[in-house]
Parts: sequence; C-alpha cells; structure tokens
Amino acid sequence: MDDYMIGVLSNIGVVSFVALSAYLLLLTGEISFGQQAFFAIGAYAAGIATALWGWPLALALAWGAVSGGGAAVLVGIPTLRLHGLYFSIATLAFAEMVRILFELFRYQVEIDGELVGPNGAEGFRGIRYIFDHNIDAVQFLALIYSLLVAVLLGFVLLERSQTGVAFRMIGEDATLAGLQGISVARHKVLAAGLAGALAGVGGGLYAHLTTYVEPRIFDVMLGVHSLAYGLIGGLGTAFGPLLGVLIDIGLLESIRPLAGYRMIIFGGIVAVLLIVRPRGLLDEKLVHRIGRLFVRSWPAKKDGRGKPA
Amino acid sequence: MLELRKISKHFGGVRAVDGVDLAVARGEILALIGPNGSGKSTIVNLICGLFPLTAGRVVFDGADITDAPMHARVSGGVARTFQNIRLFGQLTVWQNLWVAQNSGEQRRQSFGRRWFGGSRGARGEVERTLEFFDLAHKSNELAANLAFGEQRRLEFARALSAKPALLLLDEPAAGMNAEEIDQLDNRIRKVRDDGVTVLLIEHHMELVMSIADRIAVLNFGRKIAEGTPASVQANPLVREAYLGTPEQA
Repeated sequence: MDDYMIGVLSNIGVVSFVALSAYLLLLTGEISFGQQAFFAIGAYAAGIATALWGWPLALALAWGAVSGGGAAVLVGIPTLRLHGLYFSIATLAFAEMVRILFELFRYQVEIDGELVGPNGAEGFRGIRYIFDHNIDAVQFLALIYSLLVAVLLGFVLLERSQTGVAFRMIGEDATLAGLQGISVARHKVLAAGLAGALAGVGGGLYAHLTTYVEPRIFDVMLGVHSLAYGLIGGLGTAFGPLLGVLIDIGLLESIRPLAGYRMIIFGGIVAVLLIVRPRGLLDEKLVHRIGRLFVRSWPAKKDGRGKPA
Repeated sequence: MLELRKISKHFGGVRAVDGVDLAVARGEILALIGPNGSGKSTIVNLICGLFPLTAGRVVFDGADITDAPMHARVSGGVARTFQNIRLFGQLTVWQNLWVAQNSGEQRRQSFGRRWFGGSRGARGEVERTLEFFDLAHKSNELAANLAFGEQRRLEFARALSAKPALLLLDEPAAGMNAEEIDQLDNRIRKVRDDGVTVLLIEHHMELVMSIADRIAVLNFGRKIAEGTPASVQANPLVREAYLGTPEQA
C-alpha cells in the first residue's frame, strides 16, 4: 500500500466515526448538524492528554470519548426538548459556538524548550504521540479499523436489543413510542451521549493521525457531510453511513480527476437520493429483505420463532 | 378504576369535551358512543395524556394522573389503540410487540438483559400475543407490509402487549368485514375475561350492543346518557342525537 492509499483509508475510517455518530441520532429521528463539535472536543481532549499530560494513547482516546459523550449529554438535556428543525438549529448554533471557543482556547505548556498545546486560531500542533512511540501509518490504520469494527459490532448488538428497537420506535413515531411506555427523553439523551462519545473517539484518532488540529477543520461542512453519509448510505443499518463515507471520500475525493467536482457530484447525489430513496440506499426495507435471505428469523431472536419459550 | 371528573378540553372556541363525568368500573366493557365530532377520541387522548386538559381531573386506580407523562401512564396500566392505525411500519411485527410489552417489566430487567434480548418470559409473552391475534406466521414481516386486516390486529396486539389494566380501543372495527368484527368481538371478550377493563369507542352498533356492559353517549362534548345497552337504546335523547339516523343505526 502506498502512502496515499493509507492516507485515504485512514481518513475514511476516522470520518466513519462522525458519520456513525450522526446516524445514531438519525435513528431516534433527530437531525443534528453539530456532531463535528463532539469530534472537535474529542480531538482536543485526546490531543491534550497525550501531548501535554503524557497519557498513553488508549487512555487518551477513552478520555476523548468521555469528553465528547459528556458534552453531548449536557447539550442534549436542554436541546432534545426541542423538536425537528428547532433541534437542528440548536445543534448548529452549539457547534459554531464550540468552534469559536476553540479559536480562543489557549493552553500551552513548555515541553523540551518548545511551547506545545492549543493556541487559539493557530491550532494545536505537535500531537506527536505516534512518532514518539514509533507507530507507523499502517499500524495506526489497523488501530482505526479495529476500533471501527468494535463500534460496528456494538451497533449490530444494539440493533438486536430492546434499546435499539426503542431508538427506532422513537425515530418513527415518538408519540406512539411514549404510548408504548418508552421514556422518549431518556432514550434520546442516551442516544445523544453515545453519539457524542463516538464522535469523540473519532476526534481523538483524527488528532493523532494528523498530529495537528485547528478549529477551522470542525466547521459546519463536516457536520453536514456526516449527516449526509447516513442519508445517502441508508438508515437501515450501521453499514449505511459507512457506504456513504465510501462514496464520498473513497470515490469523489480520492479519485483525482473527480476531486475538483466533488461537492457538485455529492450535492447532486444527495438531492437525487432524497427524492428516490428518502431513507438512503440501504434503507430499512432493503436491509430487512437482505437479512431474511440469510437468517429466516432475522432480526428477531434466533429462538424467537417456532420454539415456544 | 378510572374516574373522569368534570374534564374539559377546549381548542380555542371549540369545546371538544365539556365537563364530562365518567367512571369506568374494574372488569367491565364500557362503550363510549356518539356522532362524529362529539368528543370521544378527545376523551381517549386526554386519558392517555396526549395533550393537557383545560379543566378537570383524571383519576386512575385512586391516583391522580392528570399531569403524569404518557409513558408513566402506560407503566401505570393504560394502553390504547388508534382509530387510524398507528404502527411502527419499519419494524417487524415481532419488534412492534417486543419492546412495548416490556414497558412494565422492562423497568425491572437489568440493563444487560435489555441489551441482549430481554428475558425468556418476555419472549414467550410475545409468542402468545402473536398466537392470540393469529399473527405468528407474520412475526418477521415489516409491519408496513401487512394487509389492512392484519395491521388492525397488530394495532390491537400492540396496545395489549403493554399489559394494560385499562385498554382504550378507539374504533377497532373501522373498515372491518363481518367476519373480522366477529373475531374482534371474541377477542375483546377474551381480553376482558383475562381481567382487562375495556373502554370501547365504536360506531358499529351491533358490536357495541353485543359486548358492552354499559354505554355512555356523547353529543357536542357533553354526556347525554349512560346506562345499560337496553336503556340507552330506549333513550329518546340518544335516538335523536345518534341512533335515529337510519344509515348509522
């Protein structure tokens, strides 16, 4: 694999975390334009942890997840009371707030005669953990994808769990879900927290992948894209948003002759799919049909059919 | 079991429900009838907390639930069906029942149990409900793909799977043929015999007269009569407001 390929694959892996984060909220019917904020918080938190505090990478990534998830819960408790468009606008406003706060955020420590740490709009240089510990690009790529596989495994379990079904119920008809005894507010905050944590891990990986973060990266377009990934790829399964990332970064951004037209093609794809397949390529119906090809009782429990419990 | 005390709901100048007193006794089937727009569905919506009351109190099992949130009322034992079928179309028949039926039990399950598929008892419960509604063979079908009659049955099953003490049925026979209404009649009786109190809103008079223990009649948001099917049928006010029109009788 050449460096370019590794770079593209790493990028796809990292962005998948934000895409899955937006997807998780989409499951509960909420459209968030602000998941890049938790990505940013995770990136800064994890970067500070390794570069300034000397934490090991695993702990720093966990810290990124906790920061992202914690922030998402704090923001979610008041904003998830808003519905539809109002929630979307609130998330957008919050994300811009976070970005601007990071432009003002200065926290530098002298390490080996050099100032390290976030320096406002200048960004945060010198997150050199992978160099200092001789982790090469392929090893880091493996780390990204092992975490991604673990997250996908979590999603597969979630989709089979009552909590996951409750998320989808709320997404389809929140009133009816309430009438079935599901506490809508609590489930939404749980989803927001998990989504924030996912974006946080992604941010932590991103910071260590590029060794440098600046507030400008976490602008609205990142949020819009991560939302679009789920809408393009499909809301029937967690592999939907991954498909969206693949189409965008794998196809449009990485094939050089296409790159210049990326936004035009991407916008076109979004517009066409919203009309033709409003719930994405891998929507619920398709996923259900594919699932039944392989497992007769999918997605009910394997002993949910035939054998009386 | 359920007591409505002078409940009112005004939408602007429209008095959809206007000072209605109504008591449902444990174990009975009480039918609520009245012409279109007389406030029947509004009363159901008020009981399950879809929107706040303008005035009055709702007392369930001795506790005032006027201000309780919807999901709390469900775990307290109130469940309902909708006149226009309301299901989770993108979920399977099984999933539609699986989570609902745990509303009470779910709270007692550990987080891990919920994550890994719920207790065996919960799964058995879904199986039995599916059998009862003759939907077992559709268990893994998406609810949106069901035929109309099956969706009607699933709607009933969905409400019942919340294990209610009080079941509110909002026009369950709408759009059904004679045979289906017969089955519905049997199912409602069976549910009542299992100890569930039923508040039935229905336009289909044959069904109402067949299964209701008592009938309350609404007109323009007010209760105009209440009593046994025979006494209500004989009531001149009711005849005038409702039963008297030939196409509905």
